[in-house]
Amino acid sequence: MSRTASSWLSEAAAVFAKEWRCELRTRYALNTVLLFAFTTLVMVSVALGPMGVDSAARATVLPMLLWLILLFAAAAGLPRVFGHEEEKHTATALRLAATPSALFCGKLAFSLTLFAAIEALTAPLFLAMMQLPVAAPGRFLATLVLGGWGLAAASTLVAAIVGQARGQSTLFAVLSFPVLLPLLLLAIEATRAAVGGGGGADSLSRLVLYDAAMTVVSLMLFPAIWNP
Amino acid sequence: MRKIAPWLLWIWIMVVIWAAFFYAPLAEGFVGQSSRILFFHVPMAWVSFVAFLAAGAWSIRFLAGGRRVAHDHAASAAVELGLLFCVLATVTGALWARVMWGAFWNWDPRQTSIVLAMIFYAAYLALRSAVEEPETRRRLAAAYAVLGLVVAPFLFFVLPRLTFSLHPDTVVNLRGRIEMESRMRQVLAASSLAFTVLFFWIHRIQVRLKARAERAPLGRTRP
Amino acid sequence: MNDGSDWALVAVNMIIWSGLFLYLLRLQRQLDRTERDS
Repeated sequence: MSRTASSWLSEAAAVFAKEWRCELRTRYALNTVLLFAFTTLVMVSVALGPMGVDSAARATVLPMLLWLILLFAAAAGLPRVFGHEEEKHTATALRLAATPSALFCGKLAFSLTLFAAIEALTAPLFLAMMQLPVAAPGRFLATLVLGGWGLAAASTLVAAIVGQARGQSTLFAVLSFPVLLPLLLLAIEATRAAVGGGGGADSLSRLVLYDAAMTVVSLMLFPAIWNP
Repeated sequence: MRKIAPWLLWIWIMVVIWAAFFYAPLAEGFVGQSSRILFFHVPMAWVSFVAFLAAGAWSIRFLAGGRRVAHDHAASAAVELGLLFCVLATVTGALWARVMWGAFWNWDPRQTSIVLAMIFYAAYLALRSAVEEPETRRRLAAAYAVLGLVVAPFLFFVLPRLTFSLHPDTVVNLRGRIEMESRMRQVLAASSLAFTVLFFWIHRIQVRLKARAERAPLGRTRP
Repeated sequence: MNDGSDWALVAVNMIIWSGLFLYLLRLQRQLDRTERDS
């Protein structure tokens, strides 16, 4: 089966476009996830108050809270990327129409962009509401990008696995947690460094490692997961 | 050879036990005899890492080598055993922590790592029980185990070095850059070898049990 | 340095591990038997 690169690309792009078209039509993920992120943000902010965490601890504690909010938002929004195919019984059509790798890349691109949107709204709000100054904004942004990539990639793969099992959202949480936690801890470390102003290059390079490994393995595993 | 191998292992373990108490010296800075637990706790943690790798390797063989049920049995047996060794390592570690630092649990990075490994194993088993169709179950579980292979190095090597650790670095160092008395090193190596062989022996038995259940599934719904 | 408590610990360990051993050997023999018969 010989497919030219451009036809593969157009397949992936088509999947990506379809995901966003469906998403924008219902706005399900965007609405629920953003609302969820915002609500959690408000809860955290109210519970802690701008003075609630003493200033020495802020640089240590607040990055963790940010990533926790992002993690929950991802867990709320990303599993559906495969779940709804099985639900709506469009999965069979997809299996016939698309090459697995193109399909996965399309879905991955969707998850990445969706999560980027979530981050773009949550992070600035978080910084503002918690009054957290960032000493190294470039590195902070890099952490958001790299951490977000890892979260989205791992979540998409786990979503693919969970899509074919029962008990979807709880199973997703159970399966993704051990896989995501190392990533989260790395991201939190890097964020702490970016907020505090020092170091963090180690964590960033490990994040790159994680993201690369996760993406490559996902691409290799997806055909086995998708096709019986 | 098969007949005497278990007995050789038994003798080896008896020697290790004796050596742990009478050949190796006490480690500096430890309360009383508590450093002896090192010769059991570390190998158990080491074996749970080996189990991780084994499960991933067998899962790759399953996916790439014709979807043979035997490979899936091997992978799931490795996970079950790995979980057992994880629990043992955590418990021995917690007991040691209680003696040394007064608290069973500190969320020290290495403690965190072993708990995450445990959760991963448990998640694998949860996945298996969530899929009814056997072929799908094996396929998805294998994929998850291979995913675990990516996560394992981060869990076992990157995470423990990330932040300050209460773990005495001279003692608990999976890499092998150990600065400890050579006698302790010898006993530790001997013990690790013994536990690894033990793991593979128990694993073999476990796989045979699964194969037997597959042939005659009386009272079992999930092979 | 090596007092009675050491001997006790060694003895306890040896008993526990030997017990495990015998159990595993029994399992292995059972499996050998059923595989021979089947």
